[in-house]
Amino acid sequence: MALLTVRNLVKDFEGRRVLDGIDLDLEEGQVKVVMGPSGCGKSTLLRCLNRLIEPTAGQIRFEGEDILRPGTDVRALRQRIGFVFQNFALYRHLTALENIKLGLRKLRHFSEAQATERARAELRRMELETHGDKYPAQLSGGQKQRVAIARALAMDPKVLFFDEPTSALDPRMSREVITLINRLFLDNVTMLCVTHDVTVARYISDSVLFLDQGRVRAEGDADHLLDQHQDPHISAFFGRGARGV
Amino acid sequence: MNFWQILAQLATGVGYTLVVTLACIATGLVTGLALAILTRLRPPGLGVFLAVYSYVFRGVPVLVLLFMVFFGLPGIGLEVPPLLAMMLSLGLIAGAYLAEVFRAGFNAIDPNELLAAEAMGLRRREILVAIELPQMLRFAVPGMLNEFTTILKYSPFAYTVGIPDVMKQAMTLAATSLRGLEIYLAVGVIYFLVYKLLLTLMRAVERRFAVPGISRL
Repeated sequence: MALLTVRNLVKDFEGRRVLDGIDLDLEEGQVKVVMGPSGCGKSTLLRCLNRLIEPTAGQIRFEGEDILRPGTDVRALRQRIGFVFQNFALYRHLTALENIKLGLRKLRHFSEAQATERARAELRRMELETHGDKYPAQLSGGQKQRVAIARALAMDPKVLFFDEPTSALDPRMSREVITLINRLFLDNVTMLCVTHDVTVARYISDSVLFLDQGRVRAEGDADHLLDQHQDPHISAFFGRGARGV
Repeated sequence: MNFWQILAQLATGVGYTLVVTLACIATGLVTGLALAILTRLRPPGLGVFLAVYSYVFRGVPVLVLLFMVFFGLPGIGLEVPPLLAMMLSLGLIAGAYLAEVFRAGFNAIDPNELLAAEAMGLRRREILVAIELPQMLRFAVPGMLNEFTTILKYSPFAYTVGIPDVMKQAMTLAATSLRGLEIYLAVGVIYFLVYKLLLTLMRAVERRFAVPGISRL
């Protein structure tokens, strides 16, 4: 059974259809990358899946449970999904360690000592053990994103959602984060990643979903989609000629 | 009577000035925080009340409201003690201004942080307490200091309702000694020293809770 199944998902914003009948399956341990031109609905799709945005129609099943039915415990659902944002979204008044501890204390009800121990372990995993007492303003972009990933992983989510995790980073920091995502990929962490980054799609994904104007235009393995797909829109997006050269 | 003796005589009212100022600051903080939080949470049906409070209390002069409370309310059977009258006039007006300072502080918070907290599964109340309030209060320090200074400067109105503060002492002394210039100069010095004390305390609090990237020290 797929961890996440989406059928015919529709989202309208002020009369404009942003998502138009999206189907998506994500198996446990799978890494799926969602790509497409700006404004095609990628981030909206991700936000619909944990109900940060309410879909207009369609069906979403997470671990077999229909999460759009009335009475769904949305907070409990969100606790099973880790979310990493493009702009890190670290809490500026908290240190890296405190950023990770917040969810553990408030949602997992860990004691102070347990939360600290767990947060330190996550920072070690991100090779940031010496940065625990630093505030976000004292960290580089790559370090901030690694703290954001540690914060999400500390909650033991069933799946990690990434919304453009490298877009706000320069190439060097981007590589740092991609290396880390690759490590999670090798550890069989289930991930759904919205990105423009071809490197992420090519090396760290089991399959790529290509969205265009709110619809799935193509789905398949990265090499095929990036190098050989004949659709002129997809070719143009990846900077190839219309004939796939 | 030399200048130092005048200062010593006036200093007997400093305690009252401080009590009035601190009581009005406390009233303003509680009212301003409550108004700003309610505005932030937007509970249905309260929008009009919050807007009316803000307009009315920012528009009415302190002395008019003080006289309404202290001299007007006894007419309908409500005797209000002098300190409480100051809190219900100067304190509530300060609350309306502080609410605006806090509103600006709330608006300075990065909405992405709130989205991340929501995505994590935190309750609205938890987000307010753990993320919004600590940041907002740090952003609001300069505006709060301005408002606290204004409260201090309006505190001499306390003499009009019989509180023996610095101003009251000065008026009594001036009436008996006819040395108004020295006396009011001494009053100015005392208020400046109290202001300096307030400033030093606020700066110490600001430094204690300073966070790189938020606090500008």
